[in-house]
Formats: sequence, C-alpha cells, structure tokens
Amino acid sequence: MASKFGMAGGIPERRVRPIWDAVDSRQFKNALKLSTALLSKFPNSPYALALKALILERLGKPDEALSVCLNAKEHLYSDEAILIDDLTLSTLQIVFQRLDRLDLATSCYEYACGKFANNLELMMGLFNCYVREYSYVKQQQTAIKMYKVVGEERFLLWAVCSFQLQVLCGEGGEKLLLLAEALLKKHIASHDLHEPEALLVYISILEQQAKYEAALEILSGKLGSLLAMEGDKLRLQGRLLAHARDYVAAAAIFQKVLESCPDDWEYFLHYLDCLLEDDSRWCKGNVGDQTQCSKVVVTGTCNLSHLTDEAFDSRISSALSFVQKLQTEVDNDSSRGPYLANLEIEKRRRLYKKSDDRKLMEALLKYFGRFGHLACFTSDVEMFLQVLTQNEKAEILEDIMKVHESPSILPAKALGQVMTSFRLQESTGVTFRLPAFELQSTAARMTEMYCKHLPLSKDLDPQENMHGEELLVMACNVLVQLFWRTRHVGYLLEAIMVLEFGLTIRRYVWQYKILLLHLYSYFCVFPSALDWYKTLDIKNILLETASHHILPQMLRSPLWPDLTDLLDEYLKFMDDHFREAADLTFLAYRHRNYTKAIEFVQFRERLQHSHQYSMIRIEAPILQLKQKAASLEEAECILENLNHGVQLVDLSSEENCKSLTFNEDMQSRPWWTPTPDENYLLGPFEEDLCCPEEFMGKKQANERETRLRKVIERRALLPRLVALSIQTASSSLKENVKANGSIHDNSNSSELKHLLEQYARNLGNSFDDAIKIIVGILEGQRHLEDWSPHVVDWMNYAVFVNAWNLSSRDLAHPDGNGCQFDSWNLVDNLIEKCTIELLRTTGPLLKCPGHDLLSLVQMVTETFSWHCLVIQSCLRSLQPSGKKKKRGSGAADHSHLPLCKAIRHSVDSLCAAVEKVTTWLKAQLNELEDEKLSFLLSSLQRNGCDEGPGQILEILEAEAGTPNPEVGFRISQMLQSWSSADVARKVIKGQCSVLSEFYCICNSKLKSMRALRQLIP
Amino acid sequence: MTTIRRFCCNDLLRFSPVNFDHLTETFNMSFYMTYLARWPDYFHVGEGPGNRIMGYIMGKVEGQGESWHGHVTAVTVAPEYRRQQLAKKLMNMLEEISDKMDKAYFVDLFVRASNMPAIKMYEKLGYIIYRRVLRYYSGEEDGLDMRKALSRDVEKKSIIPLKRPVTPDELEYD
Repeated sequence: MASKFGMAGGIPERRVRPIWDAVDSRQFKNALKLSTALLSKFPNSPYALALKALILERLGKPDEALSVCLNAKEHLYSDEAILIDDLTLSTLQIVFQRLDRLDLATSCYEYACGKFANNLELMMGLFNCYVREYSYVKQQQTAIKMYKVVGEERFLLWAVCSFQLQVLCGEGGEKLLLLAEALLKKHIASHDLHEPEALLVYISILEQQAKYEAALEILSGKLGSLLAMEGDKLRLQGRLLAHARDYVAAAAIFQKVLESCPDDWEYFLHYLDCLLEDDSRWCKGNVGDQTQCSKVVVTGTCNLSHLTDEAFDSRISSALSFVQKLQTEVDNDSSRGPYLANLEIEKRRRLYKKSDDRKLMEALLKYFGRFGHLACFTSDVEMFLQVLTQNEKAEILEDIMKVHESPSILPAKALGQVMTSFRLQESTGVTFRLPAFELQSTAARMTEMYCKHLPLSKDLDPQENMHGEELLVMACNVLVQLFWRTRHVGYLLEAIMVLEFGLTIRRYVWQYKILLLHLYSYFCVFPSALDWYKTLDIKNILLETASHHILPQMLRSPLWPDLTDLLDEYLKFMDDHFREAADLTFLAYRHRNYTKAIEFVQFRERLQHSHQYSMIRIEAPILQLKQKAASLEEAECILENLNHGVQLVDLSSEENCKSLTFNEDMQSRPWWTPTPDENYLLGPFEEDLCCPEEFMGKKQANERETRLRKVIERRALLPRLVALSIQTASSSLKENVKANGSIHDNSNSSELKHLLEQYARNLGNSFDDAIKIIVGILEGQRHLEDWSPHVVDWMNYAVFVNAWNLSSRDLAHPDGNGCQFDSWNLVDNLIEKCTIELLRTTGPLLKCPGHDLLSLVQMVTETFSWHCLVIQSCLRSLQPSGKKKKRGSGAADHSHLPLCKAIRHSVDSLCAAVEKVTTWLKAQLNELEDEKLSFLLSSLQRNGCDEGPGQILEILEAEAGTPNPEVGFRISQMLQSWSSADVARKVIKGQCSVLSEFYCICNSKLKSMRALRQLIP
Repeated sequence: MTTIRRFCCNDLLRFSPVNFDHLTETFNMSFYMTYLARWPDYFHVGEGPGNRIMGYIMGKVEGQGESWHGHVTAVTVAPEYRRQQLAKKLMNMLEEISDKMDKAYFVDLFVRASNMPAIKMYEKLGYIIYRRVLRYYSGEEDGLDMRKALSRDVEKKSIIPLKRPVTPDELEYD
C-alpha cells in the first residue's frame, strides 16, 4: 500500500500516509480515528471515503463499509469538479472486491473511463476489472482501445489473449482467432514483434487454426530469433512439422534436439513416432501441450501398419544406430534415456511384427544390468512390461534374479537390485499367484534384508533417505495381501507394526505414513490415521490432490470436530485461490507473460469444477445439519443460510456433473485401495488378478469418475430434500388443508416428488419401483446385501418419501388414513431391519476390521436425523400456536390421532434402534484394555506354527532387542525405543475413542428422541 | 531420462509425490503463480517416462546494476530419482537462462547451514559460500548465501566472500 502515496483527490500525502501506515500495521482502530479526522477536513473526497470504507471492512463492518463506498461512488458521479484518479478507484476497488461486489468496482472504472477518455491508467484499471469478472469480450474491447491510443505491442497481445479466451473458455467461435491473427499480422507489418511471449501467442493462434505451415514460416523467419534458446525453438519447430505431417523433416529436427539433449525422453518418443510415421500421438492434438495432465497410454496405441516391412526395418535400424551413437556420447549413468530408447525401439518392433523375438526381453535384461539398482527402474520399464505375456514376465523375473545374485557389485547397488526384483514381483502381480507360505517367506526376506542393511545407513543424516526403506513398504503390502487371502487380523496388525517400526527408526518416510493411515482407517483407528495424515503436512494445493487419503473415511466417521477442521481448511484454500486468481492473471498480463495469463484462467476453471470442491461444498452443510438435527429451529437456520439447499441442487445438474474435474493424485495410494471409494480388502480375495498396476484405477478411471458423478448428483439433493421434507411435513398439517383434503400450496410437495424421482433414478430405479424394492426388502423377497453400498441412501429415500406422503395422503388415498401411515410403518420397519442387519455384519471392531461401522454411523447420524426433523416439524404443527387461540373443538385434534400414534410408534422404533446400537457400543467399550491387548497380541503368536502371522514381528523384535553396534548410536537408540505392545495399545485406544465418540452421539440422539416422545399429544 | 520443460499450473496437481518430502515446502498458490506470472523461464520441471514428475526448480531474476542476478528459490527431486544429477541439470538450466537471456552477473541461493548434503552438492556445482545470514530460517537457524559467478562478471567480483555474517534485515532482497 505504501506505494500508493501522492496527491489523491487533492489530499496531500502527509495527511494520508499515517492512515496507510496504520492499516499496514493492522492498527485499524487508530486508522479509523485518523480517517475520521481526515474526513472532517475533506468530507466530500471520494478518496478519503474510500479509505474509511477500507478500514471499516477490515474492522469487520461490511455493511457500513459498503454504504461509505456507495457514498464515495455517488460523489464521484455527481461532482463534476472532482478529480478521479486510479488511486481513488483502486482503493474503492479493493473494498468492493472484499465485499464481493466486483460489479460496483467495474461500474466506477467504466464511468471514469467514459469521463476521461484515453486515460491509459484508468483503462488498465478497467481491463483489470474485466479480468476479475472473467468478461473476455469486454477485456478485449478495452485492450483494443488501449492499443489504439498508444499502439503498444503489449495491449495488442492483451486483446489477442482475450480473443483466445473467448474461444477456449467462453462462447466465442473460431473466427475470432482469424481476427486475432489479422490484427497481429497488421501490427507486425508496421511495428514488428519484440517479445518472445508475443511470438508464442502468435504461433499458438495459428496452431489452434491448424495453420502449421504458416507457423513454421514465421518461426524460420526473422521473428524466430526472438526465441533465445535454440533448444526451445527446435522443439517447437519439430512439433509443428509433426502436426503438419511432414514426418521426415520433423524426425530430423527431433534428432537435432536429441543430439543436444540425449536424455529428453518425450522428444525421443516424438522422434520415433515421426521416423515410423506413427501419428497415434499427434492425432490427439495435445502433444507438446504442456497443460496435458493425463498419462499418454502407451500400450498398443502404435499405428504402424501402413509402412512396408522394408521401410519399417530400415527406419528401425537407423533409429538403433542413432541411439547407439547417443549412448557412446553420454558417458555416464545419469542419462538413462538413450538406453531405455532400445526398449522402446524393441517394443515398437514387437507391436509391428506382432510376434515375439525375445529382443524386448533381452533389452530389458540389459537395462536392468545397468540401471536395475535405481529406485525408478520399475516405473521406467512399466510400459514395456505391459506388452509382455504373463509367462514372459515370469521368465524375465527369473533372469533378473540371476543377475542380482552375482556377488561382485557394491552392497548398496546389490540391495537396489534386489529391491527392484521385489518391486517387479509386486507390480507384475507374480505375488498374487504365490502360495501363502511362500508369500510369507517373501515378507520375511524383505524385513530381514531391511534389518541387515541398517548399518549401511548409519552415517547418514537423519533427514536423508535410508537404504532399503522401500523394503518395508513391500513387506507391508505382502502382509496386507495375506490378510486379504486369510482374513487373519494378525497379518493386518503385523503390517501396521512393520510400518510403525520403520517410522520409529526414521520418522520422515511419507510412503510409510500413507500406508499406515489407510491401514488405521481400515481398522477404524481414525485418530491415528489422522495423526499420521497431519505429519504429511498436506496444505495449499496438496489439499486438492492429496486429501483423498483421509477425507472420504472422515466424512463418514463420528469425529466431527476433526472433520470440520479438514473441510474448513480445504474451503478456505479454494476460496482464497478464487479470490486472488484473477489478480495473478493480471500480473501475468502486466509482465507480458501472455501464455501464463491464459493458463491461469484455464487452471482456475479446472479448480472451479473440481469434483472434490463440489463434494465438500455439499458435505460441509450436511455435516452442520447432522450436528444440529436435534433442534428443528437450528436446522432450519442452517437451511436458511443455504437458501434452503436450492443452490446445491444446481450442483446436481447434468451440466455440472459432466464438467467435473478429478484432480486427486492417485499414484500415491496403495494398490489395495486404489481409489477413495474402493477397497479390495472389503471383498473376497481375487486370485486371478493380473497385477496391481491394472487395478490401480488407470483403466478404471472412467468408471470411477462416473460413479463419483453419481454420488455428487445424489448428495447435492440432500439438503434440499431435508428442507422440503420439513416444510411439507409442517404445511400438510397446518390449517391450509382444505376440506376436500387438497393443499393450497403444493409446490413444495411437487418439487419434493420431482427430486425424489431424481434421487430414485440416481439409485437406478423409478420412483414407484424404488418403493417396491423397499417393500420387497421388508417382506424378505430381497436381501439387504443387494443394497450394500447404498443402504443409507435407500433409508434416506424412505424417510423423504414418508415426508412427501404426508402431504399427498388424501390425494393418493381418498379414505384419508391409508398410505401416510403405511409409509410411517415402512420407515419404522426399515429402521429396525437395517439396524439389526448392520449390527450383525459389523461385528466387534477389533476382530472384524472393515467399514460397516461407518454405515452404522451414517444411518444414525443421517437417516435418523432426517426422520427426527420430519417428526419435529409434524409435532410443531400439531402444537397449538401460542399466538393463536386454542381450537375449541376437539374434532380437529381427534383427526390427528392416527398421525400421533404413527409418530409415537416411529419415535419408539428410533429409540429402540439407537438403544441397540448403544448396547453394542457399550459392550465393546466395557471390555478391558488388557483383554483386548492380549487378544491382539495373541493374534501374532505363532505357537510353534510355521504358518500364520507373527514371523515378521519376530524379526523386528529380534532386531530391536539385540544390541548391534554396527548400526550406529542414533539408529540403535531408535531401535531401543520400539515397542510392539505400544502399537497394539494405540490401535485399541484409537478404536475406543472412535466408539466412544459414536456412543456420545447416540446418547444425545436418544436424549433428544425421548424429549420428543414427551411432546407427542 | 529427463524432459526438462517450463513448469505449468497443471503440474501443481501432479507434484505431490515430490512435495510429500518433508524438506520440500508447499507454498501457497499466489507464491507459485507469482513466480509463473513474472519469471516463467525460471520455473522448470523434470519429467520422466510415463510423464512422472521427477523434480523441479523455481527461481527469479532481480537486482540492480552489478547485483542483477538469478536466484534459486527452490530446487527439489523426488527420492526415487535422486543421485542421477537431475538437480544439476535443473540448476544448469537456470544458470544458462540467467547468463544468456538475462545477462545476470551471478546466481545465488540460500541453504540451511546444517544441510551439509545440499551444501556439498552446490559446492560441486561451483557455488561458493558468499556469506552467512544469521538466524535466516524462522529466526532460528543460520542460512548460507551461496553464489556462482556468470560470464558477465568477468572479474568474479560478485563471489568474493564477505568476512562477516549479516542479519536478515541487511539483505538486499527477500
């Protein structure tokens, strides 16, 4: 702010400076005092008023701030003599922006620009306003005006970018690009271009119109010299040639790129594509587009069939000799590119000939010999392994084992190779076909190897990665697989032990933490999961990409204060970004980095449509409703702030669901829970799984996204359904029921019906079929398991149908007492049945880990809450209102008797259900910690058996219990602090706190339900 | 096996495996975006096969007169891609841009005085300890200001070490 000094609206700087100083040092009260004094001297100065408004806003008085701003605006508009400068306007703009009234700031600038035409400073301010409002057309018009006034290149580029944005993000047609091109051409003819970024924009305009030859011509002409880095220029040239399908020339250019950067893998692929005239990558039109995010699918996308055998062979051999040359030029092992290139060539050959001549396998083995010790080896060769058959994979693994058995290499390198072979076994799915005992001995070997190699790390800084760290990750995954096969809890606990052991020795290993937090979550030990999550320090943009590790399970857990923190933190991050994004875009314009300005706008759009953002915007108010469901008034207050859920329903629209973006980074998830809504451990072991890579969700990304879109569509309806249910329940009982039973205003009821139809459709059924299904479940014709992931969604549906039915009773059943009471019954029976069923399948947590507890929590906190709100709404309407006279005749009251009876029954069945849950919870909470501990530890005791869990823990205990001077002081100290019983206790305590949290929720529910019972007339 | 290219916003959505590292700070959005908006040539990412992010460097160019220089704000490499000279390649890239495009006199960076592995690496890359900055890191740990002269500084004046340590408020730039 300090730079904003000067004569503003005729006020001398010395009078203003102390106010800004006070604002900058956050002494707002003092600032207000000074500003009042200033205003007494300059009562009509818009600048003095703007300053006061700014201070008021900072003091948390938005209404006063707005009114002062409006006053300032009025003076600006009305007083002809008043000086309007950018300082005044930009100060007003700051306040308007913070008050979410960008429109007012824009209109001030529009007025000023109208009054003082050709004032560049004001026009820039106006351009900035339009950038903030994402009004690309107005941006463009303003930029053109500025360009006309001063003829500067930068303003032309601002306009050109605005044209591009209209096409990319707005509704502008492609002919706008033609217009932009013409403007640029004209400018170049008279003024030339002077900035590299301007050239890049020009070329991108041509690229977007597929005018590759024209772009190439410009690049090779005088303007090309604007790109100072020769490599950048060549890359761009090669890309344009490839798009223009001049493959020979493109390959030659890419060859040049590789001669100066032999390690550039992406450009090696481009080179090979062009050499072999394989356009599969270029057709997609996104090559070289740095904004591409999804992986290029490598397997089987080659399009080589049009080349003759001779042509293909000769090109392959020229590629081979080029790669050979590159290999001799890079003399060190830090450039893997030219070596991996051999594999790519062999892969293409194999795909082309559709036969196996073992060359790819030989190349793989050779690559292993050179780089097999590197941690990135597996991900390097992942795409080549995918084209091999299962037998070939097994064979190559065998060969690899032989290589690393050679004793001549350094210990760290040998360890690296062994780890790679383990990693390959895991990623190729070989472990899935091993018998259990072999699997167990693999885990044991991994753990032993980790312990044996600890001395290698003794002199390392504690911050540095230790040798062999990944062995514990793999050992853990093997143990998880053993659990999946055998359902023996001991393996799961052992997996936890392995990771906790690793973190005791070095507490920074994020891979351990992520695995652990998922294991703890599976065990319902959410406090520990959360603790490890917190140590990952996930903040800022990582909230968007990495909070999927904890959020989905927390959303269903009873740990509401922690969940609130997570949701708040995420929303704050997103809101902050949306608030400042446009200013950063303007910064890019100002610094003439035009391509970034466009990128920023696209990125903001991407985040705006983030699936997670939608989800959290829906779930945050649902959580509030759950928390306040005991009081109808408080729930109504929340709903009122939400505009009764109307906006959230918009999120459920097809248009919104289609445009959702999925930004979560799934790569860091364990293979056994590849996406937030999938956990293989919940189902039976699938022996014929090919390999973890394949169910890491890559090929299933589309299915997953479709699933998540459905969830958004359904959950977005919920707050509105709750609001309408409450309103319908109360209006159906008020005096607006006409004599013939129809309701004066049944718009709520018909909207509710409409939304219920949408909800049922989302669950795969029509409105009526959905009810039939519920009846079918209750009558035992269908099984509850058929609903399994959606039990609570169906229960919620029944509750809302009941509310809707309240208003339609007489319409549906002229006798006036049929259907509505049936639907009460329906809900009651469903509650009873589902509670019993969920309690039966949940089992004691310690013995049967899994997520059924969360369904139970969800049932109590959602379904029961929504039903209670409906009941409360009915009761409120039944209560004689204090203001009105009590109704004289008992006839009306009498007419409500069946309803009162139904409500009474419903509250009773809710109470009974919650009591069942509390009894179940109490039984687990009352169990002594020592008993639980001995159960857990006994699951790890081997009692002389070779099979079963415990072996790995024995290895860990032996390492910790036997002093080994070779590991050095620091590590041996850490080893001594290790205790498996502490870990087991942590599991028990964590589960207990989750259970008792749930117990508290149930108890308070019970209390409020009993109170409700008293209110029933 | 590295494709080094300009960092873009979408990379922010893919760099979590690099930033999970406890020594790599995840800054707020305006920090990254200010760098992208002002110095896009100083913000590069290294990508490996399968479009995996291996590491990245962010920096800027600033100063006046003979202190016009490139600055390395952050450089980081994912654990599985370490010991393959990626940091060196990224640093060389930034040095080249400072030298050839912006004609800067030197490149500098700050490092925790206790971070010996990093200091050694920078020394190998030709950086010398120019001065010590007292309690530079959160008022607790000293920082070392390391510098490497570029071709424009013919007499290598910019890297003559200061004899006494400085305090953070004596620094010319943040």
